[in-house]
Amino acid sequence: MNFLYFDPGLGAMIAQAVIAAAAGVLLFSKNVMYKVKSFFGMMKEEDDSFDSIDIEEKDSKENDQ
Amino acid sequence: MTNKERHEASFRDPSGYIIHDGEVLRRVINPIYFDQYNALKEKGVFAALQKKGLLIDHEETSVTDSEIVITPSPIPFITNPYEWCFEQYKHAALLTLQIQKYALSKGFVLKDASAYNVTFHNGKPVFIDTLSFDFYEEGTPWRAFKQFIMHFFGPLVLAKYHGTEILKMMQTHIDGIPVQLISSLLPAKTRFSSTLYTNIHLLAKLESKHSDDYKAETKIARLSKKSQNNILENLFGYIKKLSINEATEWGDYYDKTNYESESFQAKKALISGWVKPLKPQRLIDVGGNDGTFARTVIKDVPHVIVTDIDSNAVEQNYRRARDKQELNMLTFVSDVLQPAPGIGFNNTERNSLVERLIDYDPDVTMALALIHHLTLSGNVPFEKSAGFFAKFSINLIIEFPKREDSWVESLLVRKREFINHFDFYNEGEFEKGFSKYFEIVQKEQIAGTQRVLYLLKRK
Repeated sequence: MNFLYFDPGLGAMIAQAVIAAAAGVLLFSKNVMYKVKSFFGMMKEEDDSFDSIDIEEKDSKENDQ
Repeated sequence: MTNKERHEASFRDPSGYIIHDGEVLRRVINPIYFDQYNALKEKGVFAALQKKGLLIDHEETSVTDSEIVITPSPIPFITNPYEWCFEQYKHAALLTLQIQKYALSKGFVLKDASAYNVTFHNGKPVFIDTLSFDFYEEGTPWRAFKQFIMHFFGPLVLAKYHGTEILKMMQTHIDGIPVQLISSLLPAKTRFSSTLYTNIHLLAKLESKHSDDYKAETKIARLSKKSQNNILENLFGYIKKLSINEATEWGDYYDKTNYESESFQAKKALISGWVKPLKPQRLIDVGGNDGTFARTVIKDVPHVIVTDIDSNAVEQNYRRARDKQELNMLTFVSDVLQPAPGIGFNNTERNSLVERLIDYDPDVTMALALIHHLTLSGNVPFEKSAGFFAKFSINLIIEFPKREDSWVESLLVRKREFINHFDFYNEGEFEKGFSKYFEIVQKEQIAGTQRVLYLLKRK
């Protein structure tokens, strides 16, 4: 059950399908670029708590070190 | 509930509300939210987010059939979105996306994405609305998506093109900046960015197209979890890379001013010599630039706030505090000549800056190189400045630059033919004005400068 105490916007609910599709294409191409770059060793390691959206992955990375 | 008063800002969400139980803030959860609360607890969502420091810690205080009461860890001072520098705003947005994605993986969603769900504590943003989670229903789009755009993504993208001043629009728009307005304020070239086009311009278009669907007849499209994750990840990546490029008012202040490094050290020595014996628990530096002088005592004071008019100085301070792990440093943007007012319904949903300062009740207030700006740029009489500081300051360390100081000279020269109206700007008048509220405990000229440092105590 959702309690809706503000208007989520009907347009916004519909728009998300298109936004997700565009995001999917972008993320796919970024992923390809990432793989190409890391193949040539062009990726630099970043270290920041806002580096990744995934908080769990960061966990496992920290544990590896 | 006799001595328990409901918090003025806590009425929008039917899941629960906040009460003042004496000095302590507690959150009361209504039965309507028991299922969600218990599920979040059992699945370890609260615990995982709290362990990471992403969600404010809380303790369960009491459980009955009619209400559950939890007590969140206290936060000494709440900053609002319109008081954040760009980097802080970005981090608050990224935190919200991290939490939404994590919640989704555990079968929950953020039911709202208000920027007021986040504040800064222990050197980083923290999510403070424990009841913002709800069950995820398979295939539903994110209901808080538009709110995220209005509260976070829109303001950030606007700041990229128009500078950080635009973040203050949040002060006049407690529900976030309307998407149509965001869309119209962005330059035309942003239509060629697939992220900006879809998340903002298309959103604005579809919102106005469907705004007259009064009977809610249009069918809502379904959205897979994978697709929703794509939206979140794409926004995260975009926001992470967002940057602004603006010249700073004070950014290189300490290079520009005529400070000899010797006098710089002398001022630091005076400050730490006066502050330490007072053993303050809380200290605020008003107009504290990047925190240079507050840092002289940061190890001796458990909680330090530095606020400045210049968003870039605040940003430098924020970054430095993060780099050095100075968890007791809180920084935010404010303009003493127009402090943030109380906003929202009844003017009480978000407290004014002065109200929050009075609540914070600092043991020491510092106002260095500030009074000449208040007096000469703001035309504020000394007595009125004194009245302002007296509202929240017990001990006030205030620096008075004399007429011979180069900054003062320059401010005076700019008055041109009105320069005689400012003849009152001198030590004697300053002391007279402040003596209405304060007594002078210490007074010392800073070596090598035309500046006098005072330690005042409220009468």
